[in-house]
Amino acid sequence: MTLTTEFDHLTQEERQVFTLVHPMDDAPETKVNTENLAPMNMTRTVRICLFALRGYLLLMFALLGYRVLQLAR
Amino acid sequence: MTTIIHAAARESATLTAKPIRVSNRWAAHTLNFFMVFGPGLIVMEADNDAGAVSTYVQTGAQYGTRLLWLLLLLLPITYFVQEMVVRLGIATGQGHAAMIYRRFGDWWGRFSLADLLLVNFLTLVTEFAAIALALDKLGVNPRWGVPVAAVALTALALTGSYRRWERIVVFLCLLDLAWFAIAFRVHPAPGEVLRHALVPGRPAGGLTASWLFLVIAIVGTTIAPWQLFFQQSCVADKRLRFADLNASRLDTFVGAVFTILVAGCMMLAGNAAFQQHWTFSDPAQMAVQLGGLFGPFLKNALLLLMINAAVLGTTTISLSSAWAYGEVKGWPHSLQKPIREAPGFYAVYALCVLAAAGLVLIPNAPLQLIILSVQVLAGLMLPSAIVFLQLLLNDREVLGRFANRRWNNVVNWSIVILLFVLSLLLAAQVAVPRLFPNS
Repeated sequence: MTLTTEFDHLTQEERQVFTLVHPMDDAPETKVNTENLAPMNMTRTVRICLFALRGYLLLMFALLGYRVLQLAR
Repeated sequence: MTTIIHAAARESATLTAKPIRVSNRWAAHTLNFFMVFGPGLIVMEADNDAGAVSTYVQTGAQYGTRLLWLLLLLLPITYFVQEMVVRLGIATGQGHAAMIYRRFGDWWGRFSLADLLLVNFLTLVTEFAAIALALDKLGVNPRWGVPVAAVALTALALTGSYRRWERIVVFLCLLDLAWFAIAFRVHPAPGEVLRHALVPGRPAGGLTASWLFLVIAIVGTTIAPWQLFFQQSCVADKRLRFADLNASRLDTFVGAVFTILVAGCMMLAGNAAFQQHWTFSDPAQMAVQLGGLFGPFLKNALLLLMINAAVLGTTTISLSSAWAYGEVKGWPHSLQKPIREAPGFYAVYALCVLAAAGLVLIPNAPLQLIILSVQVLAGLMLPSAIVFLQLLLNDREVLGRFANRRWNNVVNWSIVILLFVLSLLLAAQVAVPRLFPNS
């Protein structure tokens, strides 16, 4: 993968010196702003699948709870 | 042209340490890799926790080397899953729990968090149960050994330095190199090991229910839900940059290869018991039996490695809970912060560790029930967690160039389908125990 950086304008000679900084010592990088993101846009199929998944998980949790109570007795 | 240089074009005032300058490209790449190195190795190797040691040696003891091929098959699967987490963490600088809340709403956010916290806590109980078991076989009274371990594990995270925590944990991961010495010491047949690692074969007793569920247990042990939450938060806490993506991928790949090799060594240790036709109820008992054959050094080494596995599992799993809870609550949540700046984050971590240790010390605690619940809950949670990961990785609005490509989606949906099938089988067995025949 080719990464472009702020060093692309440097000459070949200047590029021979590599400068490295530990990620935790580096200036913070501007990431994707996720603070004001709304819920994801989903197609109807994805929404139905997630609804089915929710039902499946609730059913399995109920079954597991029942089985654990049975074993605990 | 690829360059790994960071930060030098910015004002030096924005840096908190002096940059390192090197004139050799390879040296620069290597140095950069070691700066990024850590989260990938830790998340993978910590997955070889006490439960994993138990599962792998049990597999070796029951089926010899015949299931080694499964580990090789799981290597790319575990790498692909965690690589997605790395991309998401680097692109957003946010943890996984926070992303699920923001993009899928409160219900899924609460469900994922509650499930994660529950599974993690129950897993922590199993880690401390293993520590108690191994300490007991080493002649140390668990009544004081377990509290000491819990306090030490709590102190490990409270230093206010991410780097200190990472260095110590990477060192603990590298202690697992001793598994290679153990595998060498028990003299496995090299030809058989190679053949069974590369060619899937039918088990000696045919395809029984116990074989199927051991396969499911290995898959569930090798890919665990907490890993998704842990690595994304860890990448965010380490503040990895866009340009660190390839080094971070390599870190994850190295971690995956190391972990699978160590898991293979654990199976070979179990295979030594298989050769002697021994049965045992836990790895500590196997260590004592093998000690009788190969000497006390091997016994002590196995027991200490069991404790190391549990320690690695405990610190990483507790952190995944603390990071996730802190993200969702909007609390400061970083290992880099001192306690006074992130009290809630450290309190969750300490509470997880100390409560799990306390539960193990309660006489007649239902540990078997807890172990069963851990396996099933993790099995139920994993496929749905990966579905969310997959949906997030296709979220071009957020990820842009970091989003999945078509081939990523083909591979990852195949993994999701496989995990769902295994999850359904496991769930069916728990719901209706007599559904599958025992032989």
